[in-house]
Amino acid sequence: MSGTSYHPVLDPALAPPFPKAVLPVLRNPQLRKNVAHAIDVIQAKRARLVAEKVDWQELRSAGAAIREHSLAHLGAYLEQFEARCTAAGGTVHWAADADEARRIILEILRQENASEVIKIKTMTSAEIQLNPFLEAAGIKAYETDLAEIILQLGHEEPSHIVVPALHVNRSQVREIFAQSMGIKDLSDDPKALTAAARNYLRQKFLTVPTAISGANFLVAETGSVAIVESEGNGRMCLTLPNTMITLAGIEKVIPRFQDLEVMLQVLARSATGERMNPYTSVWSGVTPGDGPQRFHVVLLDNGRSKILAKNTERQTLRCIRCAACMNSCPVYRQTGGHAYGSVYPGPIGAILTPQLMQMNYAQSLPYASSLCGACYEVCPVKINIPEVLLELRSQVVNQERGKAAKFFDPMYLGLRAANLIFSRAWLFHAAQYLGRVGLKLFTGKDGWIHRLPSIGGEWTQTRDLRGLPKQPFHSWWAARQKGGR
Amino acid sequence: MKVPSDSRARILQQVHAATQKTENPGDLASTYSNLPRTYVRAGRLSVAERIALMIERLREYDADVVETTSDKLDLAIAAQLRASGRHVFVAAEGLPAAWMAGGFEWKIDRNLSAAEIETCEGVVTGSFGGIADSGTIVLHHSAQEGRRIVSLLPDWHLCILYASRVVETLPEYFARCEQPPVLATYISGPSATADIEMTRIKGVHGPRFLNVIVVDDLGAELNTRQQGKEEISQGKST
Amino acid sequence: MRASLFITCYNDTLFPETGRAVVRLLERLGVELDFHPKQTCCGQMHANTGFRGEAFCQAKRFVRMYQDVVAVVIPSSSCVAMIRDQYPGLFEELGNEELRRQFASLLPRVYELSEFVVDQLGVDDVGAYFPHRVTYHASCHGLRGIHLGDRPARLMNKVRGMEQVPLANLDRCCGFGGTFSVKNGEVSSAMLAVKLQDLMATRAEFCTALDNSCLMHLGGAMHRQYAGMKTIHLAEILASTEAEPAEALL
Repeated sequence: MSGTSYHPVLDPALAPPFPKAVLPVLRNPQLRKNVAHAIDVIQAKRARLVAEKVDWQELRSAGAAIREHSLAHLGAYLEQFEARCTAAGGTVHWAADADEARRIILEILRQENASEVIKIKTMTSAEIQLNPFLEAAGIKAYETDLAEIILQLGHEEPSHIVVPALHVNRSQVREIFAQSMGIKDLSDDPKALTAAARNYLRQKFLTVPTAISGANFLVAETGSVAIVESEGNGRMCLTLPNTMITLAGIEKVIPRFQDLEVMLQVLARSATGERMNPYTSVWSGVTPGDGPQRFHVVLLDNGRSKILAKNTERQTLRCIRCAACMNSCPVYRQTGGHAYGSVYPGPIGAILTPQLMQMNYAQSLPYASSLCGACYEVCPVKINIPEVLLELRSQVVNQERGKAAKFFDPMYLGLRAANLIFSRAWLFHAAQYLGRVGLKLFTGKDGWIHRLPSIGGEWTQTRDLRGLPKQPFHSWWAARQKGGR
Repeated sequence: MKVPSDSRARILQQVHAATQKTENPGDLASTYSNLPRTYVRAGRLSVAERIALMIERLREYDADVVETTSDKLDLAIAAQLRASGRHVFVAAEGLPAAWMAGGFEWKIDRNLSAAEIETCEGVVTGSFGGIADSGTIVLHHSAQEGRRIVSLLPDWHLCILYASRVVETLPEYFARCEQPPVLATYISGPSATADIEMTRIKGVHGPRFLNVIVVDDLGAELNTRQQGKEEISQGKST
Repeated sequence: MRASLFITCYNDTLFPETGRAVVRLLERLGVELDFHPKQTCCGQMHANTGFRGEAFCQAKRFVRMYQDVVAVVIPSSSCVAMIRDQYPGLFEELGNEELRRQFASLLPRVYELSEFVVDQLGVDDVGAYFPHRVTYHASCHGLRGIHLGDRPARLMNKVRGMEQVPLANLDRCCGFGGTFSVKNGEVSSAMLAVKLQDLMATRAEFCTALDNSCLMHLGGAMHRQYAGMKTIHLAEILASTEAEPAEALL
């Protein structure tokens, strides 16, 4: 790690498994209220704007097709992007993994003699743990998106990919700002808080000569980068500094400028419930006299090409990071994002994170879903998240089933036994009988089971279970057939 | 440190290997042109309705919109400038001299520094066009539209939008771009955030005030506009 | 019309009254019903937990068992979703050509109960009588998995004496999710708590659905909390008449 040590944020390799990580969250009424409120507001706005769009399903189909086509020909489009961006005055770097991306960025910053850098919100930089790395290397990174400022100043972790501070409410923001900006009589009115953030950053925008951004889209045809935002912090960062570094996953490329006519329509509606976000910027390389005169793009693989190679999983890379899946997810609505232990939470995180970790970590995430399908229904590029979740679950089972530790795991024992039982009707019927007799021990006078041992206790912690009836359906049917004849 | 080109070759090799079964390198263009695009491309509104929709959407974003005709544009600009209560304005380099009303201090952007632009209270620019469906103003940053910085730093932005440059749908805008622009900024209302409890707050870093003058350069076509407005509001109420 | 009832493993074991109701209902509507005595499970539990090989064993068994029937009727939307959404992938990956062909021919003959009654029998008034206040829970698999659409409503609207109360946030998952309910028991319970709030707000006597798996979860919590609401499969409401009321009322 080039001799630099740092404290990673939301590192899936260090995170506790999801069922354990949710416990403190579920007991935190403030956090759950904040998350549910934010989610409900965005969901309602999105639903209204999607409903008014008569061609919504056609846009989804086109969005899915464009993204899938880009992935199917990713190599060609990446090379085209590189050639056009270079011709327009940009410099393109390729990073195989997070470590290489960090070192490339650090090297550019060293060449610029940068001690500070301003940043547009980029989840990809969070993925590679860029901020703590730069901090350890003596470079202060200033986040400029309001939510990111709240997190950075409050030493909080992002819990959503579009509104990362949705778990923090106004009085908590007031606390954070009052303390870190040294403003005594700050009110908790969002207007006042927003004004405080504006003042806090204004000088940074005007003086810090180096900026880092992510990319919403890379356009192969023109070598351009597109950034979609609301506050204008993005425009500040991509206009005022001398040097701009854009970090983007290799999957972000789309074939042509015109494809934005689909992507922008579905992105804004899905992400924030707007017809169009306040500001979208597109630029190609370097424009003399306008904006940064030195421009670097760092193309990051970090496991993406491995995902690309897999049939079912490839669709994960279609994602345009709108977060509609997490906004629609009934699990996320209860837990918020931190429990996922990754900068990518929610349903997309549940499939993306373990894959980026090459299934070495985050194996509990594919199970962090009731498979209700709401995420697939809202996804603007039609990622069948439940299908990928199931594929990843089977990979987890294949990893685990050989392990001695899992041999006596009640879930594995139970499912292996069930497989045998379901293979023969007489075994199934015998198991029903034994189950009824066995469960009698736990069945109360009211005919219901109130407490079960082992994995059954997970059920009975909040739910009763009706005792098994004396006569399963098949016996009733058999008796009826006999009686009838 | 690794030589970057090693990673380039390795990533591209892995990507090509991963997509071996799906890519069609021989005829990328025709594969691309066969992608399904059954979404709405052309608008269905009359000219008058389209302009009315553009204005309605801009006003939903709290933009201040006035309408005028080509011959009265200079007066309309001057009136807006006076009403703003501001005095020091930056002008895009190619802004017509007639738009720079007397009685105000004008700084013409010939490579002004950020610090100089920051001292200006407002900015006047032209625009490439507008998209009515989303109330979006498009800047391609021509000389009249100005460098990106001039429409960014001042807190008050007066933008001139010609009715003939307004399309109804986003795909119609893309169809109008003969060449993809080198620079483009799409503005849909003033800078805003909803990061605190999803409460929409107008004005974070970009201009907090967006003023738009819609110039009727379509003449007769817009005479039906009052009628168009009524149709839209009727359509809404049913 | 002839049809074969696939009761599903958990209805057979835990909810035989649902099966009896399906029999009463369909026979009343003139269906000649069969029941294959060797049936067990569709494989959903295994597939959804990641045990694909095991799920394939059940899937194979199902397809072979029913390949010659006129129609299979299943009173469980999640099991039907399993067959429609997951069997194709399982057979593609693990099956042989013959199995794939058998499955392809069987698939259009597999019906969820309300699909069978409304689409195949062409009936929405099944002559039911159920004088109670009832709210309908649209299970995720019924709503988004197999798109039951307005079929349940069409059937319920014709039940005499029944007062229907709409459930808020109808499209939100109740938190059951099969083994999710025990692997992530706490989150499942949190989702359940939210769903119960919406259910209790209806002041209904019964919560009904076309899937006993959600109802086992909801009903288990109602019982634990002395909530004063019961769960009942829609088949039991549809089978209920003045002369022969639903077993749940006895």
